[in-house]
Amino acid sequence: MKKYQLNKKQLPSFIDHLKKQGTVFAPHKKGDASYSFAKVVESDSVILEYNRTLNSIKKYFLPPRELLLSYSRKDNSYKKGTIGKEKKIFLGVHSYDMKAVLKLDYNFTEGNPEENYLLRRRNSSFIGVSFIPDEFHFSQSVGMPVHDTDGFDIYLEKNDDGYTVKIITEKGEKLIKEFNGLCDALDISSNHIQFQNKLKYNYNRLPEVFEQSWNAEVWEEVAKRCVGCGTCNLVCPTCYCFDVEDNMDLSLQNGTRDRSWDGCMLNDFAAVAGGENFRKSLADRQRHRIFRKFRYITYITGEPWCVGCGRCTAYCTAGISIVDIVNQLCDEYEQKYLNRPVEQSGLNLEGL
Amino acid sequence: MTTEAKNKPKVAFFDFTSCEGCQLNKLNLENDLLDILEHVDIVEFREAMDDKAEEYDIAFIEGSISTPSCVERIHDIRRRAKMLIALGACATQGGINAMKNLQPIEEVREAVYGDEKYRFPTLPAMPVSAIVKVDYKIDGCPMSMPEFLKVLKSLLAGQEPIKPDSAVCVECKLKENECVFDKGMVCLGPITRGGCDAICPSFGQFCTGCRGLISNPNKNAMLEILTEHGISLDEAKKRILLFNSYDHSQSMPK
Repeated sequence: MKKYQLNKKQLPSFIDHLKKQGTVFAPHKKGDASYSFAKVVESDSVILEYNRTLNSIKKYFLPPRELLLSYSRKDNSYKKGTIGKEKKIFLGVHSYDMKAVLKLDYNFTEGNPEENYLLRRRNSSFIGVSFIPDEFHFSQSVGMPVHDTDGFDIYLEKNDDGYTVKIITEKGEKLIKEFNGLCDALDISSNHIQFQNKLKYNYNRLPEVFEQSWNAEVWEEVAKRCVGCGTCNLVCPTCYCFDVEDNMDLSLQNGTRDRSWDGCMLNDFAAVAGGENFRKSLADRQRHRIFRKFRYITYITGEPWCVGCGRCTAYCTAGISIVDIVNQLCDEYEQKYLNRPVEQSGLNLEGL
Repeated sequence: MTTEAKNKPKVAFFDFTSCEGCQLNKLNLENDLLDILEHVDIVEFREAMDDKAEEYDIAFIEGSISTPSCVERIHDIRRRAKMLIALGACATQGGINAMKNLQPIEEVREAVYGDEKYRFPTLPAMPVSAIVKVDYKIDGCPMSMPEFLKVLKSLLAGQEPIKPDSAVCVECKLKENECVFDKGMVCLGPITRGGCDAICPSFGQFCTGCRGLISNPNKNAMLEILTEHGISLDEAKKRILLFNSYDHSQSMPK
């Protein structure tokens, strides 16, 4: 792997260099104390040291609101929405958000490939950046270290003078090729990153917990504090549920078919014709939400579908923590099924 | 499917106890007004014209029911209307008018009318649906114009209008708004019925709950959220009841 040094003051010119090769999207300040990915206009307004963005880069592949087609009732015709082919460069992506995109790739290609997602997803390059985990991050606990470069073309690892630039792919090599400002990688140590493990069990052991968690008491307890606003679904980088709605214009002749993000915590999500709702209670919905991250897809792929970004917890006004839920499930599992502290039972393999 | 002049639906607008802001709001639909008139005949609209009619295909009602004469008049309108739609918070849920129900009615009457109070009979403020059947509700204070258009278009096209039943938070998240809780405010968005495109939080203001609450509001949890974010329990209840006294004062946790 090739490595270079990018000094802090070279960053704007590096971004300018990227802008010549495609549309660059990067984190910017948003509101009083938040961050958001946006198209880079002024290179020096990009912020690479941030805790998390409100939405992940999912929004560029599965937009919050999206026109699927426009129709005319006059001649029964329709026209699909157009999706640009421009080259997109995502700068300053954290490893968990990159992993989330790879997971969405799976979701949208398995079974029936989803055309709009895949069209938007093409021509994308990703430049990762290291981050300092805060109280909400737990990506390492679900198997994604801060410096995980899976999916990135280039990775920027923060050091005292700027960034160590690691070229991961050929695409990354091309992106950086004609940029003159780089020096050889310095022999300085990267900022040390402390990551506190937050989950009680190694994520490899979670499937056995979730196998026994359907009737856990945690669901009712969480539901008491939950208002069902759906924030946890909507900010999740691996949630991909959507709703489709037709919107007519005032001519009553023409209209559009639009799709927008939906969430399994919301009232209409599992409602069907005839007034039935398959998941009426907030407890059922919480269980479904968490099972979508740790059981259903995990059962098929062997990987947790939660990337540990901490958004659902950080943005929950009720302070409901996904880490606490999982840890409580582990506790309940221990009490009910192992009946003794995990430290002992985990090593008790004598009978095998 | 052009609507011929002779069979355009007859539409009328009526106001009850309200500020008439919702009606005014419709006149603000300047860009769409002419298109709307392509499809409907407005036969009564006190805020905009003098004509009167005997019957209506759609009667839009603004304001809450708060006097015996309101009751009589709304029955009369209902009898003459094929479809009746409540417009805005006062009509759909009693609105801020229903705050008076939290006080002894005689005291309220005295405070408002003083010595003349016997000339002004009054009732607890009620949504229109407390007296007559309401076919659809368009929420908000003032009523949401996009929702008004959506319902009108659905009805004209012969479709059932879809009533949103998710929280304002959803629209904030779709727009990637920074949460107003993170700006140090307290907001009723988490339990307030969306459909307004989160217009207040989008402009840096907190949600006051004007569109009514979602169909399964977890009020205990909401009170917890509000008090956790620094307001007293009493203040938290008052915030929720500002627009929602009629539906929720009885069930408010003690």
